[in-house]
Amino acid sequence: MKRILAQVRKELTQLVRDRLTFALALVLPVLLLLLLSKATSLTVKDIPVAVQDLDKTPLSRQYIEAVGASLSFKVSALPQAISPESALDQNLARATLIIPPQFERKLERGQNVELQWLIDGTDANTANIMRGKAAAITQSFNAQLQPAPPRVAIQPKVRYWFNPGREDLKYFGPGVLAFGMTMFPTLLAALALSREGDLKTILQVYVSSITAFEYLLGKVIAYTIVAWAEWIAGMIILFAGFGLSLAGDPGPLLITTFFYLLCTTCMGTMLGAAIPNQAAAIQAAQLSGFLTAFLLSGYIFPVENIPQPLRFLSNFVPMRYYLDAIRDAFLRGGGWPAMWPAPIALALLSGLFFWRAWSVMKDMQVKA
Amino acid sequence: MLQRILNQRLWSLFVKEFRQIRRNRRLVIMLIIPPTLNIILFGLALNPNFENLRLGVVDYSSTPDSRDLVSAFTEGLVFRIDGYYSSPDDLGRAIGKGDLDAGLVISYDFARKRARRETAEVQLLVDAVNANTATIAGGYATRIIASLNQKIAISTRRATVTPHLTLLYNPGLKSSWFITTGMIGLLLVLQGSVVSSASLVREKELGTIEQLLMTPAGSSELIIAKVAPIFLLLAFDIGLALVVARLAFGVPMRGSLVLFFLSASLCVICGIGLGMMIATFTRTQQQAQLMGFFTNPPLAILSGATTPIEAMPAWLQPVTAINPVKHFAVIARSIMLKGSSADVLYRELLALAVIALVMISVSAWRFRKQLS
Repeated sequence: MKRILAQVRKELTQLVRDRLTFALALVLPVLLLLLLSKATSLTVKDIPVAVQDLDKTPLSRQYIEAVGASLSFKVSALPQAISPESALDQNLARATLIIPPQFERKLERGQNVELQWLIDGTDANTANIMRGKAAAITQSFNAQLQPAPPRVAIQPKVRYWFNPGREDLKYFGPGVLAFGMTMFPTLLAALALSREGDLKTILQVYVSSITAFEYLLGKVIAYTIVAWAEWIAGMIILFAGFGLSLAGDPGPLLITTFFYLLCTTCMGTMLGAAIPNQAAAIQAAQLSGFLTAFLLSGYIFPVENIPQPLRFLSNFVPMRYYLDAIRDAFLRGGGWPAMWPAPIALALLSGLFFWRAWSVMKDMQVKA
Repeated sequence: MLQRILNQRLWSLFVKEFRQIRRNRRLVIMLIIPPTLNIILFGLALNPNFENLRLGVVDYSSTPDSRDLVSAFTEGLVFRIDGYYSSPDDLGRAIGKGDLDAGLVISYDFARKRARRETAEVQLLVDAVNANTATIAGGYATRIIASLNQKIAISTRRATVTPHLTLLYNPGLKSSWFITTGMIGLLLVLQGSVVSSASLVREKELGTIEQLLMTPAGSSELIIAKVAPIFLLLAFDIGLALVVARLAFGVPMRGSLVLFFLSASLCVICGIGLGMMIATFTRTQQQAQLMGFFTNPPLAILSGATTPIEAMPAWLQPVTAINPVKHFAVIARSIMLKGSSADVLYRELLALAVIALVMISVSAWRFRKQLS
């Protein structure tokens, strides 16, 4: 026990004295959280829409106003000299709307009228949103057309639960925190172990009385403490900086966080133990802590959308479980009934990673 | 003329660098495997298209009319019925646990109101924890009910406006086309910076830079000879990325291939400039790689390669103007998907050229100062 504590103290002292690593450990996560949680969002606002109004009547203007009143669109007039397709070709607008001549007259005569919406499908997700908005705007325009009692057969009342304003920050803010907590603890722990191999100080450990288990546990404890410091700094930003708040009991979140930070530190320890070269260890940490977490955890788009052979791999990505838990804690407040699988899965993964690290290192000690 | 070039110091330095890189097998592998994997993985994994959203139903009405409504929801691929619930409370609990994505509540008087030709209200509860999924699910539901309304309205005949929605360039709304075209630029810049910083810092770390300084070659010659082979290798990556995007996802190339390669080369130069800049701030390869942790995430996130720029807050959008990945994402998408030509893209091309020039000259200046 004493040996483990000594190891923890040595690690923390070393970290504080190394300026670059220290900045990496505490400053960078905070900066990233500030930047990324504001920048990752899929809710497009003020999409430029170019309008060619060939009718120019009060009714056509009313439709255009309805489009402009939507938060998603920003309307600009398109001169008739430019064809609607070329406006999209030249990136002048993301969608063009053409109102045909005789728009008002036909409607007043009781004829059906077709409007042309050309939508730039380059960005599939945004195109999908634009399509939905265009349909909704037209539907409410139709409802306004009839001054007589509303004749719509079925009226949907859509209620958005847990996040009524559909704010992306509430979804991505906690997500970025989860992302940072998989990136940095993994990297720092991997560096701490591979540095010993790189500088050959590992040989001193070999001849000392410390066992592989104690050596690894000391590293894990030290970097889990660092990870907690990072996590607390991140939570302060989410609360104070972004005004988010937890939706329910903080207990399940704290316990899940404990296992998550343990798990990412163990993952780094495993990588560092297996790769006694700092440059290669950084790359491995980047691959597992950055790329797989970014792609396979559901950080931007849900895990269910990943095609099957790849989706199976996501079961080994710790961030996947933590994302569910932290988003639940911030938005839904489902508590234990919703969250219980996360800490169990994370504990199992921690055990797996630690065991792998230990099986690499277990024969290290020089037998006296 | 050719003889004179070949005899020059520059050429021999160039050959030295080229051989050094070719013999470094790890570097060569790094230039081939990660770009291929990245493009395929990103194209596959980042997929916003929604199918099989789990829908729970509370049908108090239980009439042919209400069943028509429910079946209208399941006709498409978007929603699938996950279960029927006896009360809205049960339904709410299921959504709260994350077992359902949306819930539909049909009231007792649904069929009666339909028969009387009054407006019947139905409630749709959407789990909005994921704002994007919720927006799209709500949009689909509105469209489903709108088309049902239209079917009903045909008998009552009244004038309506129907939007004729046409999707250009990517009619199948394949998100992989959006992601891969954005990723190419990101890959070129990241690869360029990693390889060039590694090769410059290595000379510093091993102390061989002193030996190079002893040779009659000038510092600018040294820098050019260092950078040129990397540039050629990355030019190979441009082609590789195109082929992978084409084979794996069928991304078309509707514009000029020459223009694409030209602008992609500018992108590579930006990456090399970034790598040189990092090399002037660090002493060891490990430090250089750690610096990458400071530069790469903002480069990736503030580029519009994976999420739209329009979704960023207004104060952040101008910042993306200094990001070469952003400009190249616009160029790549315009050339590949829209078939645009240079007269449309001159702003982005100019921006890319300016960024490349500034990066290279500032870092070359810093490097020369450190060398002398």
